[in-house]
Amino acid sequence: MIKFSTTRFGVLEADEEKIINFSDGLVGLPDLKRFILIDHKDTPLKWLQAVDDPDIAFIVASPDIIVDGYSTDLDRTVKNYLQLENENDIVVLVILRVSGEDVIANFQGPLVINASSRKGVQTILERSHKTIQKTS
Amino acid sequence: MLVLTRKSNESIKLGDDITITVVEIKGNSVRLGIKAPGSLRIFREELYEKIKNENIMSLNIPMEEFEKINKALGSK
Repeated sequence: MIKFSTTRFGVLEADEEKIINFSDGLVGLPDLKRFILIDHKDTPLKWLQAVDDPDIAFIVASPDIIVDGYSTDLDRTVKNYLQLENENDIVVLVILRVSGEDVIANFQGPLVINASSRKGVQTILERSHKTIQKTS
Repeated sequence: MLVLTRKSNESIKLGDDITITVVEIKGNSVRLGIKAPGSLRIFREELYEKIKNENIMSLNIPMEEFEKINKALGSK
């Protein structure tokens, strides 16, 4: 069990095995390696809370709740990186934010997690991928 | 920054495991081939910067914005 404080959720306790390890951090944020996923009650959204920085929490969601037919076509590099043994262990999440009146989902830099090893990586998709905006 | 001159089909080595080869030079474009370990992640710099900036803008979202996002997605 580890205990850590967060700005939004107070002091949290979590089993070690609930921690998702992004061993290279997120893109441009190499020090953010340990995260925990928190379901936001009664919504399809989750918080990806940094274990080592109380202020940092991303809002994430499965791409399926935003658009139909989003596919990441994960390449061998990502699968090797995550030591993926079973395709069914792949969990893909996209980061959401607000810009003015729009909600922006980062479809080009999805988070990919191996649910069994709890290793994660933020991948960058090569093909041009429109950042989908949705007016609230 | 180290600057090296290479011709088409010539390479540089980064350590023991990474080789970058100039595959083709055409006008002001250079095609590069990269041979690297399978788990090494390689990005075009402009995409890397774009995702990095997105991350920075997304890492500390206040609760009011959470509500906005939740409301917007409720209407898929």
